[in-house]
Amino acid sequence: MKKKESAANVLYETAFAEYGSALEMLAACKQAIKVREVLGFFEHARDEYIHTKKFLSILKKQGKNLSNIIARKYKFVHIGALKKGYVSEKGYLIETKKMKDFVAYIYTNELIAEDEFSKILKYFEDDKESTDTIHSIMKDELRHHGMARKYFLKYYPFIQPYQLMIYKYREYLHNKGRKFYFKNFQILEKLFTPIYFSISFLVSLPLRLLNQREFSRINKNLMDISSKSLL
Amino acid sequence: MYLGISAYNHQSAAALINEEGELINYYREEQLSRIKGDNSFPKNSIKKLFATNSLKIDDIKNVIFYEKPLSAYLNPLKVAAKNLPESLNLISHQLKNFKKTSLFCFVDLAKLYPGLEQKLLYIDHHLSHTLSALAYAESFQNICSVVADGFGDRSTTSISFVNNPNDIRELWSNDYPFSLGLFYSAITDFLGFAINEGEYKVMGLAAFGKNDSNLYNKMNKLIFWDKNEKTIKMDLSYFEYHKNIYNSFSIKLEELFGSSRNPLEKLDINNNDFQRYANIAFAAQEVLTNILKELFIYAHQLTGCSKFLFSGGVALNSASLRSITSLSFVEKIYIPPSPGDSGAAIGAAYFGFIKNNKNNSFKRITNLYPIIFNSKSQYKKTIKIVSEKFQYLSKNMEESFLLASELIKEGETIGTLISNAETGPRALGNRSLICNGQNLEAVIKLNTVIKDRSPFRPTAPAMNESTAKKYFILDDALYNSYFSMTSTVVLKGNSPIKDYPIIHVDGTARLQIVEPNTTLDKLLLNLRKYDIEIIANSSLNISGDPTCYDLIDGLMVCELSPLKYLLTDNGLLKKLN
Ligand SMILES: [Fe+2]
Ligand SMILES: [Fe+2]
Ligand SMILES: [Fe+2]
Repeated sequence: MKKKESAANVLYETAFAEYGSALEMLAACKQAIKVREVLGFFEHARDEYIHTKKFLSILKKQGKNLSNIIARKYKFVHIGALKKGYVSEKGYLIETKKMKDFVAYIYTNELIAEDEFSKILKYFEDDKESTDTIHSIMKDELRHHGMARKYFLKYYPFIQPYQLMIYKYREYLHNKGRKFYFKNFQILEKLFTPIYFSISFLVSLPLRLLNQREFSRINKNLMDISSKSLL
Repeated sequence: MYLGISAYNHQSAAALINEEGELINYYREEQLSRIKGDNSFPKNSIKKLFATNSLKIDDIKNVIFYEKPLSAYLNPLKVAAKNLPESLNLISHQLKNFKKTSLFCFVDLAKLYPGLEQKLLYIDHHLSHTLSALAYAESFQNICSVVADGFGDRSTTSISFVNNPNDIRELWSNDYPFSLGLFYSAITDFLGFAINEGEYKVMGLAAFGKNDSNLYNKMNKLIFWDKNEKTIKMDLSYFEYHKNIYNSFSIKLEELFGSSRNPLEKLDINNNDFQRYANIAFAAQEVLTNILKELFIYAHQLTGCSKFLFSGGVALNSASLRSITSLSFVEKIYIPPSPGDSGAAIGAAYFGFIKNNKNNSFKRITNLYPIIFNSKSQYKKTIKIVSEKFQYLSKNMEESFLLASELIKEGETIGTLISNAETGPRALGNRSLICNGQNLEAVIKLNTVIKDRSPFRPTAPAMNESTAKKYFILDDALYNSYFSMTSTVVLKGNSPIKDYPIIHVDGTARLQIVEPNTTLDKLLLNLRKYDIEIIANSSLNISGDPTCYDLIDGLMVCELSPLKYLLTDNGLLKKLN
């Protein structure tokens, strides 16, 4: 059961990651000016949407064997992409990065994704259909990586290949860092929970004294309540 | 100009109303960000309003936010504090996420357009809802407003009397956590659908349910109208939304109704448990409807009114409306095209207009397509996508409409991406997937193949007024809502169209009466010669994504689904194989 749940968890998170990149690529498609780039990002977004759907369908297949309580944790709600940080609340990458950096980001992240998927495969050793699906997705990611590479060679011929290496390692470290940070964050979160809870407990004491009826507006003209007030 | 904002809770949106009280532009954040249910600060929407209308900060007289942030923050905390220690995770979550609550609107606004935050006003949440309905009503005086939602900043349900737009008195309210909206959401969750996304699926599922008095009584113990105290009461031991961020219902609910549905399993009419879930949905729908009836009866007692405004997320429950209008005193119910929180941004902007409207003259908002866009603006940008993947069957609009009609006659599905988009969650023809509503195969294909959604979900019929009168029992009290698809109708007895695929299993339909000179009207005129008078109309999106906003979104739907034809402002496109 444990293995099944962690498989579900990996699929769930990966589906969000794919959905996040679909959104990023669609945003890039809308921002791009050169019609070739518009087409390129369009097709890339399409692939990522399809990947999302494929991971979700494997998740559904797995989910049949999970108990309801666990399965409910893996209900895919789109807004999760924002809540879980797969896309930033500050805006899409294309709005915050230069095109060159954005393509470099794709270049490296597609490789990292491909690498991650090979780790997912181990959960589905005895499920040929799912492994085939994941293999086809891995092929796509390599293709995306190749496309970004081609773009680089075409538009920035003077800075390859060592700069691409730097980009790659920077992103790689970034990604490792992200995971490291996330792990630490989880540990910290556990450590701090009693503290948070104690604060919450203390805060709730005066809150309990708040009289909900004080918020009452019965027989008041709602149009005349001070619109500067937060209450 | 007045800028209204809704954000941080449900769907975010921003609306722009001018000095004449006209809704000149509006955006829902999810449509721009492409994330369903996007509830973050609507920076894309506001930026777009500024760009489209060449606004400067000075052009905006007031920015009106749709709730009172401190009340919205404190009320749930107060209730959670009473439920210690189970509620500790909810309280600490609220404390930690302080920056993502509406208390931060001022800061977010200042970051986006410095100076704009100085013009920020906060109004009562249910007042925003009331005004969003009032703005579309035909009369602005002596009308009663009923608001029901999940939770805003104080109450979850309220009744007020609109003496005139400047004098709106609250007469009754029901406090959080007793909430019709949150009750329905918990049932949605129980039935395996996502909260804030799947409520309308529950409504669709309910049509398959059978009346089971035992089940009804159980449901009615969970939530009921207390006749003596005139209030909505709940047995909160079955729910957890008020004390737990992870669960909306408690284990007791499963003891009562059996196990909840596994959300990862597809719900199919042929599933073993389908009938049990449908019966639960039916009971929840019945209980909700009956409480709403009691609420309207009480509203009538309090105000003497026979005309009502109805708004808040619960007003999206179109299936309950016919029961309300069956009450003898109800003469009229006005439901705004977007009754939920995204539409409340329009009400907020309208507040600015009312407050500054010196001559006190009001005319209703009639613009049902306030989301400004024209595919022509992306003609050049998409030229490469189109040349590689599509062909123009025609670039002449008149001819495109003729060809589209011919394709509809032949059983094809057409996507429309024409001019401005619709206000609310219902597509009225400009962001629609349409086919011949009289052709069973075509409708099934539209639903299951193209939209990839469960076959139990209904598809709405669109037709002109005379056709609607011929086949359906139209309700005078709800007449306005037929134009924005916010209520349902019943077929006339022995109707020749009773077996049409746009009629729900329970003999109802979510009718749209098509307005003259709109996209669907033009198509219906062309379809007359083929004896097609009903179009099946669904929103243009892939299951789970927000309705399309621009041409690229429309092309993406074609790319990701079997949809072959897209009618745009640039002409009729056909996907190459
Ligand atoms: Fe991918
Ligand atoms: Fe990729
Ligand atoms: Fe609301």
